[in-house]
Amino acid sequence: MGNVKILIVDDEKIMRESLAGWLLRDGHDVETAKSGEEALEKLNVTRYNILLLDIKMEGISGLDVLKHVNERDPDVAVVMITAYGSISTAIDAMKNGAADYLLKPFDPNELGVLIEKILGNQAQALENLYLREQYKERTRFESMIGQSRAMQQVFDLIMDVAPMNSTVLITGETGTGKGLAAKAIHTNSPQRQGPFVVVNCGAIPEHLMESELFGYQKGAFTDAKETKKGRLELAHGGTLFLDEIGEISMRMQIDLLRVLEDRVFYRLGGTQPLEVDFRVIAATNKDVQKAIKTGSFREDLYYRLNVVSFKMPSLRERKEDLPLLAEHFLNRFSQETNKPIDRISRGAMDEIMLYDWPGNVRELENAIERAVVVCKGPKIMPEDLPIFCAEESVRSDTNSLVEIEKGHITQVLTANDWNISRSAKILEIDRSTLYNKIKRYKIQKPS
Amino acid sequence: MIAPSEHTVVVSFIGDCGEEIFLPVSRGIQRVFGFRVEQMPLLPDVDFALDPNRDQYHSTLILDKLAAAAPDGTTKVLAITAVDLFIPILTHVYGEAQLGGKTCIVSTFRLKEGLSPLSVQETYQVRVVKEAIHELGHTFKLRHCPDPVCIMHYCRSVKDVDRKSDQMCRYCKVLFEDEIKRLTIYRVGQ
Repeated sequence: MGNVKILIVDDEKIMRESLAGWLLRDGHDVETAKSGEEALEKLNVTRYNILLLDIKMEGISGLDVLKHVNERDPDVAVVMITAYGSISTAIDAMKNGAADYLLKPFDPNELGVLIEKILGNQAQALENLYLREQYKERTRFESMIGQSRAMQQVFDLIMDVAPMNSTVLITGETGTGKGLAAKAIHTNSPQRQGPFVVVNCGAIPEHLMESELFGYQKGAFTDAKETKKGRLELAHGGTLFLDEIGEISMRMQIDLLRVLEDRVFYRLGGTQPLEVDFRVIAATNKDVQKAIKTGSFREDLYYRLNVVSFKMPSLRERKEDLPLLAEHFLNRFSQETNKPIDRISRGAMDEIMLYDWPGNVRELENAIERAVVVCKGPKIMPEDLPIFCAEESVRSDTNSLVEIEKGHITQVLTANDWNISRSAKILEIDRSTLYNKIKRYKIQKPS
Repeated sequence: MIAPSEHTVVVSFIGDCGEEIFLPVSRGIQRVFGFRVEQMPLLPDVDFALDPNRDQYHSTLILDKLAAAAPDGTTKVLAITAVDLFIPILTHVYGEAQLGGKTCIVSTFRLKEGLSPLSVQETYQVRVVKEAIHELGHTFKLRHCPDPVCIMHYCRSVKDVDRKSDQMCRYCKVLFEDEIKRLTIYRVGQ
């Protein structure tokens, strides 16, 4: 888990500002909204971990905002803030999905304990998600496919970079195969006999990251019943792949920089320095330069990682690869499901070619998997493809790619009552990407 | 390159809170930050910040006045007061700082809690020094640290203050050094 984002919604400026100042010093990213209306606008474009929400406000009330949050993103923890006279309303709010309530003015300890409890629950949920993702990763696309010029350039770069021992930074949108590129570099490198150890920096909760990376000695903390090797140690002699490096916390950035510089570290609770030798590959879909400017990513770590870098092309930049990829996934899923489907109809392929694939290869993979499941005959027909694919392809005759993507996102959001989690799942992109796209395309929720 | 000793922290007492605390506080600041420390009266009183309904003083208002009263060339200002401080949303605060700003304030009002008359002076002084360093740390953009022994750890009670050390952890040291470098670059560039 990276920085914790908190939105304070209160119509009293002094309350907003004093709480924001306190939470900032406590290490959180804080934004404020002076009304329910402003809160909804902010919720449309940014994903927050916690909402501190005043119940009584002019216009859209705190309870209305709570209802909205519950409908579209129930993972956001909402804490109601109330004056002494409104406790019964706060209790009603808890029955309607609020995580808790605070009576103002509140004791700073009470607020601290509550935030810790909420973050603990969210970290647990994230950990569960991580474990599920790990399972899915085992079956994810197994090789890199592409005959396009863009992919040929990537292959050439990989072959150039692989024999060197340099650190590599791979950028690119989600679903473009950054992890596969990293694996390909490892497979073609002098370290190929060694391990390829993945650290998904965005999926490992911050409180687990330190022990995951560094390992621990028996007795280092209460649950350390046995000595455990961390991923740095496990990567010795091989490659350490730091996926979603843009999500790593500031504390871990400091530790990681030191390891990358010295190649020496200690297990938690350990007294012996451990020397490690591994190649580092990092990947991110974030704008790291921007993160450096805002102070959330260390410049020295960036330069340490960015010795050699390249960008994975999006699927819309290599549309000529779509037939090859689609056929590849068709073969795989027809074998896995034991269904005798051996081709994709011309009509279905036309639609695949016209669609923009904002979720890139991962979205295509899921679309073909779904098509194989619903397909009744020997070939994939247009109606087997997810409905958005067919509808967008018709419109695309007159629209730009950007308009198609905007239209498609709007359509999925509308079909799902603006439930961000559900829409992101259908679009096969993560929620932050969806929020960014909503912001970028200025997609408005109908009132 | 500007050495840390070229930075000056002004310590300013507001009201009667025992100025004998100046020596241990200035030593603590020099030890942790390496800065020169000067004592200087800046505000005669803080009556303007009193909330009569709460009988407490609004610390944010005091910080604003302190910033305006700080002499040119001062790197940071630390005020120490005996009055009970608050910010509107919270029942009380031990102190407040402008994150990455110029001023901070510490209240000694609640730092004598749980002390027997015999142990008062020494433990009380240690607590004030720790909270002073903590609040000054915020003015260098340091936020609360999860390490319970780091000086930047947020203390829920005076017991927590007693438990934490009077040093920054290694992470906070790095972040502090980053900020000093940034300030140095900024000064040289001016």
